[in-house]
Amino acid sequence: MFKKYIAQTILILFISGGLFSQQTYQGLIIDESSGEPLIGVSVMLKTTDSGTITDLDGSFSILASPGGVLQISYVGYQTLDFVLTDQKSINIKMLIQQNILDEIVVVGYGTTKKSDLTGSVSSIKSEDITKVPGTNAIQSLQGKVAGLQILSTSGDPGADPIVRLRGITTLNNNNPIAVIDGVITDISAVALLNSNDIASVEVLKDASATAIYGSRGAAGVVIISTRRGTSGENRINFSVQQGVESVANRVGVMNGREFGTYINAIYPGTYNNLDALPNVDWQSEIFQENTPITSANFSVSGGSDKNNFYFGLGYFGQEGILPKSGLDRLTAKLNSAYILSEFLDIGLDMSILLSDKENAPGVINTALWAWPINEPFLADGESYAEVNGGNPLAGIAYTNSRSNLMRGLGNLYANIHFLKDFTFRTSLQFDVSEGKSRSFIPKYFVGPLQQNEINDLSYGTSNNTNLIFENTLSYAHLFGKHNVNAVGGYTMQDLQNEYLQGSTEGLIREDPLFWYLNAGQNDFEKVSNNLNRQTLLSYLGRVQYSYDSRYLLTVSARRDGSSNFGPNNKYGNFYSFATGWNISNEDFFPKDIMINNLKLRLSYGAIGNEKIPGTAQYALIVGGIDGVFGENEDLGAGATFSGGGNPDLKWESTTQFNAGLNIGLWDDKLIGELDYYRKNTSDILVPLEPIGYTGVGAYQSIFFNAADIRNSGFEWNISYRDKAGPISYQFGLLGTTISNEVTDIGQGFGADSLLIGGDLGNGQQVSRTAVGYPVGFFYGYDVIGVFQNAEELAENASLFGQKPGDLRFRDVNGDGVINSNDRTIIGSSIPDLIYGFNLELGYGSWKLSADFQGQMGNEIYNGKQAIRFTTLNYESKFNEHWTGEGSTNEHPKPSEGGINFLPSSYFVEDGSFFRLRTLTLNYQLGNELSKKIGINNVNFYLKATNLFTATSYSGYSPEIGAGSAIDGVIDRGVYPITRMITIGMNLDF
Amino acid sequence: MMKIREKMQKLYSFLILILFISISACSGDFLEQAPRGALTVGSFPNTADDALLATNAVYNSLRDWQINCGGFPLLDMMADDALKGSNPGDGTAISVYDKFEHTATEGSVERWYKTLYQSVKRANLVVNEVPNIEMEAGLRDRYIGEARFLRAYYYSILLRAFGDVPKVTEINPPLDLGRSPVHEILTEIVYADLEYAMNILPAKSDYEPSELGRATKHAAAALLARLKLFYGDFAAVETLTKDIINSNQYDLEQDYGMVFPSVSEHGIESVFEVSATAEYFEDGGNQYANTQGVRGTPNRGWGFCRPSYTDLIKEMEDANDPRVDPTVIFLNETIDGIEIKGESASLDTIFENGKIIEIECYNQKVWYPGTDAKSSQGYNRRLIRFSDVLLMHSEALNENGKSDQALIYLNQVRERARGNNATVLPDITTTDKVALRDLIIQERKYEFALEGLRFWDLVRTNKAEEILGPLGYIKGKNELFPIPQSEVDISQGRISQNPGY
Repeated sequence: MFKKYIAQTILILFISGGLFSQQTYQGLIIDESSGEPLIGVSVMLKTTDSGTITDLDGSFSILASPGGVLQISYVGYQTLDFVLTDQKSINIKMLIQQNILDEIVVVGYGTTKKSDLTGSVSSIKSEDITKVPGTNAIQSLQGKVAGLQILSTSGDPGADPIVRLRGITTLNNNNPIAVIDGVITDISAVALLNSNDIASVEVLKDASATAIYGSRGAAGVVIISTRRGTSGENRINFSVQQGVESVANRVGVMNGREFGTYINAIYPGTYNNLDALPNVDWQSEIFQENTPITSANFSVSGGSDKNNFYFGLGYFGQEGILPKSGLDRLTAKLNSAYILSEFLDIGLDMSILLSDKENAPGVINTALWAWPINEPFLADGESYAEVNGGNPLAGIAYTNSRSNLMRGLGNLYANIHFLKDFTFRTSLQFDVSEGKSRSFIPKYFVGPLQQNEINDLSYGTSNNTNLIFENTLSYAHLFGKHNVNAVGGYTMQDLQNEYLQGSTEGLIREDPLFWYLNAGQNDFEKVSNNLNRQTLLSYLGRVQYSYDSRYLLTVSARRDGSSNFGPNNKYGNFYSFATGWNISNEDFFPKDIMINNLKLRLSYGAIGNEKIPGTAQYALIVGGIDGVFGENEDLGAGATFSGGGNPDLKWESTTQFNAGLNIGLWDDKLIGELDYYRKNTSDILVPLEPIGYTGVGAYQSIFFNAADIRNSGFEWNISYRDKAGPISYQFGLLGTTISNEVTDIGQGFGADSLLIGGDLGNGQQVSRTAVGYPVGFFYGYDVIGVFQNAEELAENASLFGQKPGDLRFRDVNGDGVINSNDRTIIGSSIPDLIYGFNLELGYGSWKLSADFQGQMGNEIYNGKQAIRFTTLNYESKFNEHWTGEGSTNEHPKPSEGGINFLPSSYFVEDGSFFRLRTLTLNYQLGNELSKKIGINNVNFYLKATNLFTATSYSGYSPEIGAGSAIDGVIDRGVYPITRMITIGMNLDF
Repeated sequence: MMKIREKMQKLYSFLILILFISISACSGDFLEQAPRGALTVGSFPNTADDALLATNAVYNSLRDWQINCGGFPLLDMMADDALKGSNPGDGTAISVYDKFEHTATEGSVERWYKTLYQSVKRANLVVNEVPNIEMEAGLRDRYIGEARFLRAYYYSILLRAFGDVPKVTEINPPLDLGRSPVHEILTEIVYADLEYAMNILPAKSDYEPSELGRATKHAAAALLARLKLFYGDFAAVETLTKDIINSNQYDLEQDYGMVFPSVSEHGIESVFEVSATAEYFEDGGNQYANTQGVRGTPNRGWGFCRPSYTDLIKEMEDANDPRVDPTVIFLNETIDGIEIKGESASLDTIFENGKIIEIECYNQKVWYPGTDAKSSQGYNRRLIRFSDVLLMHSEALNENGKSDQALIYLNQVRERARGNNATVLPDITTTDKVALRDLIIQERKYEFALEGLRFWDLVRTNKAEEILGPLGYIKGKNELFPIPQSEVDISQGRISQNPGY
């Protein structure tokens, strides 16, 4: 598809290759006040990313051409841009930095100085990213970025965390996109980066920052830049980390005696001798303690004035707290850049991931539900015994499921610099992955409800390719006090995803050597295969203007075309306008007050979302809808409609208003960033069940542009740093408030005005989405007590068949009877406040740091308590059951199911929590000492993760993700999060 | 030298700009991606092969789990012959039907309604598109006849369950439809479809053995008779059923116990049944029997639709009706050499005030050979049996003033039920029209227990209030199911709710 265009690009490169010679500039960099030469200053040619550092004499040399801009940066000094002229010998003076506003921040398709930024962008540096041991660097952003909610919802090795920026924007896919080394991809791709290889992460939050990503920007953008080499001596880094983990907390369930007592209360006399009942703690049976987590990383970087490279190799291994859930992961990183001439430089950034994961056996709920009075093994001590509710140990033993993934992401680019101020950048980007999964279940018999009569094998492969061809033209010029920066271009993207899935039964042997489809019986062989393809074509542009670093203006726009939409609505247009005012740069701003920096930002724009299946526009007709005919009952092939489609689908759009304030006090000892945002998402692409008589069928949804949601809130990020004698300290406080409301659903679309979600799988649906409420609120009966006696039951409204000891529900509509019309909102899983708190104390070579995080005002539906397919073990709260008049007005009488398990507020729990995410003690070996043994820097650290959590929630963890926004947060049973203790060492050569 | 350099640079820059612009003028077809592995409307059905594919897909709906009242045999649970079953905590969302407490927001009603209309849509695809295909006319008309039979079957459920409903005959109906009167849909669609099918379709014996399970002439006549009976046109019932009886295509199995076993599939008594294989749905299975299958040991299913101890088992036992054994699986019974132990975690007998009100037992009619849950999906649900044709004929004769003749067909059914035990179920002799009417309905209760007919029989004979009232039935409301609340909401009230909901 791109071939023709790539050929033309190659032609351009051919023309430019080596056409002109380059010139060498010699320079010297000194401190302005002292005149001392500065060693190790970074000198980068701005348009090429190529650069060098100053040597021991403060001097450097670099290949460049007149008009080129050198960016000079050095820790503790103000970064400055130097425009080259014909003068080959240059002297540059650097000013000591008064504030941190001249940090360089990566934005979409370029970089900018923090002081010139008009958008809401949070920037996180590498040292914060390696703090939390884990496979996914995204986890380290938790509690670092105001407005960003990261839920580590599972302790399963390698599980992707759930990422939400500024609330729930849409009803379908709320994941922000990730841009890794310039490649637009999905947030899950972050897993292929080793935290150690990341140089910085930028989170783009408001329209001003994200509009350049147009249709992909509505839920936010996470830009990740990896490390690059600089010229000079090679730098080698080696780090190792070894930790152990255990389940952070257990769920309270009944022990054998309590269970027997409870059952006796339902069926008197069932267990005559409670003391003789066995007592099996199934959670102890399945969870492993102190399982290892190991990581080792090696990197080397370096370069000359004509090229630079960064090479990283990492290993990560985690056994997991559940048997057969381990992960092994290998990552490789290679970034290299070559300066071929002053006009042309090329490079390749590549990341590669190899992972091998055992898919955890699904026994977490089984361990909560299995009867504590059933022994795990038969008398022989090794055969699994039948356990009511299921034998979790057998579940582990008979699960053999494994996934392998190979994923590579890269950006192959060339920059052509011409006419002094222009750069043409062309790049071919790819994100390709090849996954395979294999699962084998042997033939076994534990009990009639837990058996497999014939062994099964399934095997599947999936192949994803995401190719992007991107061309941009950028321009930068300083006209006196007017600074203009512009970029424009277009991108083409082709996403393909193909799978092949096969299964069979009755393998001739059960040995792993036979876990291949060929070993199965032909009768049982099944195979399926299909491909999804999506193409995108986009035009983008942005102009940044600043006057005298006082008045800032940014305008950006993007036009996206997508194959996901029909001919009438192929293209969507997105834009933003933003202004900034550096008040503290004004002449009238007093210089001698405590406020040293003050900046106002305002932005408004429209961004979009197109994350829907490519075939949503079509009413598909598929095969495999067969009849059965004849004396032999053979399948008679059939084909007909499969669901429905909507040819009029169009882009979802989010308009976002953002007002922000940056403030610095006492020479930036205290820095604050405050933002107010309001996001209105309209034409939300919602899968809705259309009116029934159109015949799409049960559970079949069609995508409509059919709902509007408003999110608004305040964000703050305040930090203070100072020294008191030998002690340095720093603390930070950040948070977001979220107000989420559905402003419109479905009306006029022939579709439902009420979205029903939260299916527990037992016929109960506990969530609703409706106008005027937050997305996915919980819906059921509101419990106001327990019927204490027959009089109370007779005098008050009740459900048919209720008896004393049953939950008393509120008569919401006051009509004197309780029926389904009395169901009401009983909770919302959207927090009112998400916050983080961190502090750091330094004394000499020692440093102690702590990160706290929390959220408030959200509820969780404890679905695992409400799902009663049969008689299962109960959680501890059921021990406090009603035993007669006056015993409790909170918990109902014992029962196996029925009325007291209907969706009600009895199962809604407060999901607020406050957690000490990490506590780290760091010791840096003195420089003098380490240099004697040839090492520049040595660090030792001891780190504890998830050390304590304050919450009233009774499950494993209050951090639970929602499968779909309209489900709300339901605890159907999660892989528990873990507490980790880690020691590590970091060596720089 | 400098000048050449500058000129070159300008030329070169110009070239880059030209190329940049030319590349960005990208062709539009890059953004056209047709779906893979699937067709869209307009390109199907176009050939004779397509016509068969589209027709077979209409049969597929018969096996769809949701077509059975949204998954569970609600009609039996609502009638007096069955209870919800399984254990108290299982399927709590459907326990409301047992007590007539269901509201308009129950999921099963919505799934049932939507699946019926999905099935109608599949039939409409054939009825509307297949006539345009150039192919052999006889076969083409047969396909259309099959689709029209099935469309009538699906509408027959919609009309009896929901009353007035939207009248849909197009593939993409307008979005502003309201409810059409029952009689209008009956006349314009259901009766017309069935009369067409009676004329066009082959008899059962005219089909190749490999085509068993397809709609037949007499299946269409029997379905038409069932509806005429429901809506009180006894003259039509008498004629229709007489023609079926005289066709010599059908007879009763000799032994009532042989009506349902798998060896009798498509047997002499079966007028129309749903073929299925002992596989999962996508491979030909039907979850209908699995839903009602034995829980525990052997693990054949979920155990819903438990035969009522007080209103079915005890009545039949007291009447010495031998049909109770082939109808009910009792614990510790042995079937096909397999001992039925049932579920260990729940109670085997439930008492209230010292009397048995419920025992753990299962519907034996849906038993299918095998020991696991999957194999129970091979059960062929019998939708119309010849004994129903006989009893419909008997009822019509009685209503048409021919009570003496009616006795012949009623007693034919009782005689077979009696089996080898001549001492039980004596012949009925009364020719009192009212008394005989009650006896026929009573006979139908035991003959068709747990077959989904009882509820409609009670409604059409105005006996529902008397018999089901103690269970919670409310006259003027529970004759019909509620229209799914979502349908009322989406249509903004154009589709109105049924009385009482």
